[in-house]
Amino acid sequence: MAEGAFVPPLAGVTVVELSHGVAAAYAGRLFATLGAETVLVEPPGGNPLRREPPFLPPADEASALFAFLASGKKSVTCDPKTTAGRAGLNALLANADVFVHDLRAAERAAFELDEQSLKARYPNLIDVSVLPFGAHGPKADWQAEEINLIHASGEGFLLPNGLAAELFPDRPPLKVFGHFAEYQGGVVAALGALSALMNRERTEAESVDVSVQDAALAVGAFALQRLGDGSLEHRQTRSFKYGGVLECADGYVELLTLEDRQWRGLVELMGRPGWALDPALSDSLERSRRGAEINRAIRAWAREQRTADVVARAQALGVPMAKYASPAEVLAGEHERARRLFQPLDVPGTGRLPVLVAPFHVDGAAPSLKAGPPRLGEHQHLLAAERRRQQPVLATEAS
Amino acid sequence: MKPLAGLRIADFTLHAAGPFCTHILSQLGAECIKVESASRPDIFRKPHPVYGRMGPASFDQVASNKLSVRINLKDAKGIALAKQLVDVSDLVCESFRPGVMERLGLGYAALAAMKPSVVMVSVSSSGQTGPDSHFAGYAPLFGAWGALGYLTGYEDGPPVEMRHVMDHSVGMTAAMAAVAAVYRLRRTGLGGHVDVSAREVACSLVGEALLFAAAGGEPSRIGNDHLRMAPHGVFRTRDEDRWLTIAVRSDDEWQVLAKLMNAPALLVDPRFQTASSRHGHRQALHGEIEQWTMTLDAVDAERALQDSGIAAHLSCNMQDIASDRHLRDRGTVVDVEDTDGRRRAALRAPIRFSRSEVGMTRGTPRLGEDEDYVFGDLLGISNEERQSLMDQRVIY
Repeated sequence: MAEGAFVPPLAGVTVVELSHGVAAAYAGRLFATLGAETVLVEPPGGNPLRREPPFLPPADEASALFAFLASGKKSVTCDPKTTAGRAGLNALLANADVFVHDLRAAERAAFELDEQSLKARYPNLIDVSVLPFGAHGPKADWQAEEINLIHASGEGFLLPNGLAAELFPDRPPLKVFGHFAEYQGGVVAALGALSALMNRERTEAESVDVSVQDAALAVGAFALQRLGDGSLEHRQTRSFKYGGVLECADGYVELLTLEDRQWRGLVELMGRPGWALDPALSDSLERSRRGAEINRAIRAWAREQRTADVVARAQALGVPMAKYASPAEVLAGEHERARRLFQPLDVPGTGRLPVLVAPFHVDGAAPSLKAGPPRLGEHQHLLAAERRRQQPVLATEAS
Repeated sequence: MKPLAGLRIADFTLHAAGPFCTHILSQLGAECIKVESASRPDIFRKPHPVYGRMGPASFDQVASNKLSVRINLKDAKGIALAKQLVDVSDLVCESFRPGVMERLGLGYAALAAMKPSVVMVSVSSSGQTGPDSHFAGYAPLFGAWGALGYLTGYEDGPPVEMRHVMDHSVGMTAAMAAVAAVYRLRRTGLGGHVDVSAREVACSLVGEALLFAAAGGEPSRIGNDHLRMAPHGVFRTRDEDRWLTIAVRSDDEWQVLAKLMNAPALLVDPRFQTASSRHGHRQALHGEIEQWTMTLDAVDAERALQDSGIAAHLSCNMQDIASDRHLRDRGTVVDVEDTDGRRRAALRAPIRFSRSEVGMTRGTPRLGEDEDYVFGDLLGISNEERQSLMDQRVIY
């Protein structure tokens, strides 16, 4: 496609989101990022994520989590516990392509939003459920937060590895920062919804059941594959044989040399020390066996290095190395700026801030969000407009 | 019928992230034709000493369900053959370093000139553009560049390297973006190029922390703590290395937990009266919780907590997962037969549709296993011509 003629992939697609947690909210955010009109339906008190830390300084009022996840969305308030609220929601659903939500079965029944009712009323609607353990199965009603889910999916048990595992062998296993498993649930829900949309073009709409546990487990596929190979992975034994997290004079870097040429580059980078010139170490299997000895030498060398200098020299020699960048360093990164990873957007209660847009470009450019996070009920007019538009239809149905 | 049936992928991906993207798409019904050559086979066909794996993987979760053909991309005739394959495909996926596909004559511009409707997905460590686009990287480096590694770790410890989940997160995001682009193609006829940056995927998984930092906050490593909830953590149980995760979200849940613990003293302890006070004294609080969990069987405790509406789960190892009834009931974990005929647990793509099927129908292909179908049936190349291309090491 010619540059400048950018049509967002989901232009013309309408999504209604009714979420409590991060997974469904991230699915909605991905739709908004890809150009779909995404309407967040909030209860009168607001989406619960508006009250989740961290809160943005200096006012400490607006949730950073909500602001990130709701950017690009529209907000209407509507209480599905009331008849009027349900009518409003139904007006939105009548015109939607996708309904993404994290409602439990009992809520769905109470709000008349169960799978059968939706299918009967809106035969073209893709109904996407995103729950901690999915909508079906013995744990469908189980409660879970991120820390439960990262461990229910296996990755929690396997962390930390490398340096942190060596330093603190007796500590409990460690979660990934933030909402890793729930974000996977969001990506998978978006993938499921899009696949169902593709399929709708030739057959009919269907519903999609996504479990955060399943999604996080899917990206941990390798550990299950290793089990089939006869090896039960454990955080104390799955560390790289050498390399990994290295402490430098002014921060940490990651080093990983998988190929022989990368190892040779590392030897150069270290200034060809005597121990590394041992001919036996030119064999990758021998290096694997002598990993602990290699690590002692590499770590001693690394402590004398400065991160910016050693990473630049490493990359020039083809040695895979990266600095463990802080959020502030990522925000200030030249590469990130060149790729427009962040878009300045108005965040109510705080001001204009750079919000991460998307981890991909489409047609040679970063996608663009239509706006920052909405104020509660900022787009209430959408409800009235929908209801006006549908009045003749509703009147016919009533008669 | 699978939802993406009818979609054909010319798959030039290597390593983990790109192949996982096409593996998931293949489980959703796309026909994925994996391009390799004897001189450059997929890394999963080789030993991997740094991971401590001395032999090839017998069954692997990124190559299974794909068709395999050999094309030598170092030969001009190989490039011509690759273009023929692209011509009969809807989607092209690749994960070379930026610039390699262009050098081969298979860059997006060249392919779009030949076939304007082509959708291409490129997966790379830092994206196709920008000053670092030439950087080499693997999963732990993506995590390091993207702040996810910096933020993960014990409060008083070093950053933590992200492993395969990082690669596969990139692949899953790429699969999602790929279907979005193909959906646009189906509706509008427009092709396009999706450029997925692995380090940006790492960033996207800490988007809220980046925003917090942009406003002047200083996000940091907090181990298993939560910024609001306490109790919240991973607790020892009666048995060695069996851990229980617990998250208490509200005052009500705290009351229920204290009753389950049979610890009324905690409910009157001034340190634990409010959510913010519990959070402030979380170290002492977690000590109390662990004294209790240390007397319990992890699975029994998980059940008792869930029965009371409290978010709790065992810290699962892969053996737990392979035999988990819930995951088996959902069809998330299935048994497959590997190339030696052994049965083993594998993962189905993690989406359940009300009508459509999902999943694997075959294992890892032998190198070049599907050339009769792809070169013969799809591209209409005669047996004589194929033999000649093999003699010239174009099909090699």
